[in-house]
Amino acid sequence: MDWWRSFFRQESTHSRLIGVTALAALTLAITFVLPPVANSELAGGAAIAIVILGLSWLIGWSGQISLGNSGFMAVGAYAAGIWAHHHNTTPLVFTLALAIVAGGLSGLIIAIPSTRLRGPYLAGLTLAFAAAVTPIAQNFTSVTGGEGGIFLNSLVTPSWFGHLFSGANAVINANAQWTADLAVVVAAVSFFFMANLFHSRTGRAMRLVRDNDVAAELMGVDLLRTRSSAFMIAAAYAGLGGALYSLLEASVRPETFPLTLSITLLTLMVLGGIGTLSGAVIGGIIYSFSADLVAHVNSLTGVNPTSNLGANMQGIIFGVLLILTMMFAPRGLVSLRTPIQKLFRILRPRRQTPDLGELH
Amino acid sequence: MTYSTSRPITLAFEHVSVRFGGLLALNDVSFEVAEQEIVGLIGPNGAGKTTAFNVACGFQRPTSGTVSFPELGKRGLHPAQLAKVGVARTLQGVGLFNHLSVLENVMAGAQSRPGGGLWSSVMGLPGGLRHERVLRDEAMGQLERLGVATFAEALPGGIPYGIAKKVSIARALMTRPTLLMLDEPASGLDEQELDAFIQLIIELRSTMSVLLVEHNMDFVMQVVNQLVVLNFGQVIARGTPSEISHNPDVLAAYLGLDE
Ligand SMILES: Nc1ncnc2c1ncn2[C@@H]1O[C@H](COP(=O)(O)OP(=O)(O)O)[C@@H](O)[C@H]1O
Ligand SMILES: [Mg+2]
Repeated sequence: MDWWRSFFRQESTHSRLIGVTALAALTLAITFVLPPVANSELAGGAAIAIVILGLSWLIGWSGQISLGNSGFMAVGAYAAGIWAHHHNTTPLVFTLALAIVAGGLSGLIIAIPSTRLRGPYLAGLTLAFAAAVTPIAQNFTSVTGGEGGIFLNSLVTPSWFGHLFSGANAVINANAQWTADLAVVVAAVSFFFMANLFHSRTGRAMRLVRDNDVAAELMGVDLLRTRSSAFMIAAAYAGLGGALYSLLEASVRPETFPLTLSITLLTLMVLGGIGTLSGAVIGGIIYSFSADLVAHVNSLTGVNPTSNLGANMQGIIFGVLLILTMMFAPRGLVSLRTPIQKLFRILRPRRQTPDLGELH
Repeated sequence: MTYSTSRPITLAFEHVSVRFGGLLALNDVSFEVAEQEIVGLIGPNGAGKTTAFNVACGFQRPTSGTVSFPELGKRGLHPAQLAKVGVARTLQGVGLFNHLSVLENVMAGAQSRPGGGLWSSVMGLPGGLRHERVLRDEAMGQLERLGVATFAEALPGGIPYGIAKKVSIARALMTRPTLLMLDEPASGLDEQELDAFIQLIIELRSTMSVLLVEHNMDFVMQVVNQLVVLNFGQVIARGTPSEISHNPDVLAAYLGLDE
């Protein structure tokens, strides 16, 4: 029974690979039946899920907070966008790798002073960083395209994929599904690497520092290095997510990365559940459907979407969701799994387990 | 009264003083811990015992004097370097990682061993996984040695104090130390646990040096080879347990208080 147990605890790289691949394959299958609008939303959600996962790692595993993730997203997005704008034929993998490196480096630069700060000071510094990024992008017009941003057309649906579609809206359907499938694959790869990190020695070093830094130091853990590598990894994930998001949107613009996005990311992470892969998936799903949800609530309540109240509806809905989550599932929606599992256990008749003796 | 040994020296305090503002927490303290020796650091509350530990571990810089590890060829180590060179320390109280299982707490003791870096972690390379499995087995072995293996999956918050103390010692042993520093290891142990613990410490002497701070005099007198008595930051006596128990200065300053 050992292999079975270790599979579900994801103790081996193979089991993580199989788990992530299975989930990705299922999602890819679903994209075949989703309407194009939903596929586009799913693509955005997958990109955001990557960012949430990085944040979840930073907060849940290393015990540091960041209000700067919208800034790290912007760094990755602009790095990829500026490059792709000038070198349109670069393979996507390379462009995304550039975003990962740029995001990671910006994280490292913020981390060096940050790791000496705690709590509100750390939050303040990362917030200042995120606040600075958009004005910089708005002002360096020659490089960043200023307010209007940079137009990107590097996500071209390959013709073999387009051929799978026919009918009136073939092109629209093919494009929407291609972006969704691409985003799901990129997200799956990043989730796989994070799953590895969670179960590794580096993952443990993070939890040691988070729980008791004096004892962690006595175990030989270098606090500065551990904390800054946590930041670097979280920022690299944000950079990747930001770049992917912009490529999907076919443009990099300052308004995509407002400070409030950092707050939204935090909210989504808490909603899903801190420090878990499934929490980040749930956060991404909520993000995917948040625009629909907002429109739905606006029409149900008769609120004009362009009014002050309507424009802030997303914040209100997230706020209410956050309060409900805190009340009924304080460890995030992912913790609802346990009551559901219990329910299944009750429903399923208990089998008599034979005495396996040594095999246990 | 002085104490001398011909064995190599593991830890040496040479004229160490630590000043906190107007307070001299350690005043010209000199003593050594030799290879395979168990040294007890005793003295009334506020005498400077924990400060001495903190200086040895690099948490506190001495105002003057030096701390060195002659056998290891090191001096003035940073806390994060200790485990790697073979110095393990338990913290006063328990000092476990509250959100990690008992087993993982013990595995953490091997955190400084080579292998399983960032790249190998991210990629989930087989070497790193094998390394983790080896650590898991070894940590389980340490828990068994201390008789607390049944708590392997528990969280530190949910186990009795005496068990948690043992887990923290298992974690320190996982470092494979040359020098083991124990801050009040016997507090919270009952009589029976204490006897087993005395046996363990005596057994450890064959492979490492031990420096311990302890208030339980029955325990100290049974395990140590050498006692260093601190009072108001000064070493007022050094010697074997029987020498110390007959030292009039010590009786006046410390043991006398108990009688
Ligand atoms: N960080 C510090 N700042 C100021 N005074 C301290 C500090 N640490 C310890 N002291 C003082 O130094 C003296 C020795 O303390 P300590 O080493 O904890 O004694 P012990 O462990 O023997 O009880 C005490 O008077 C204590 O108040
Ligand atoms: Mg003390």
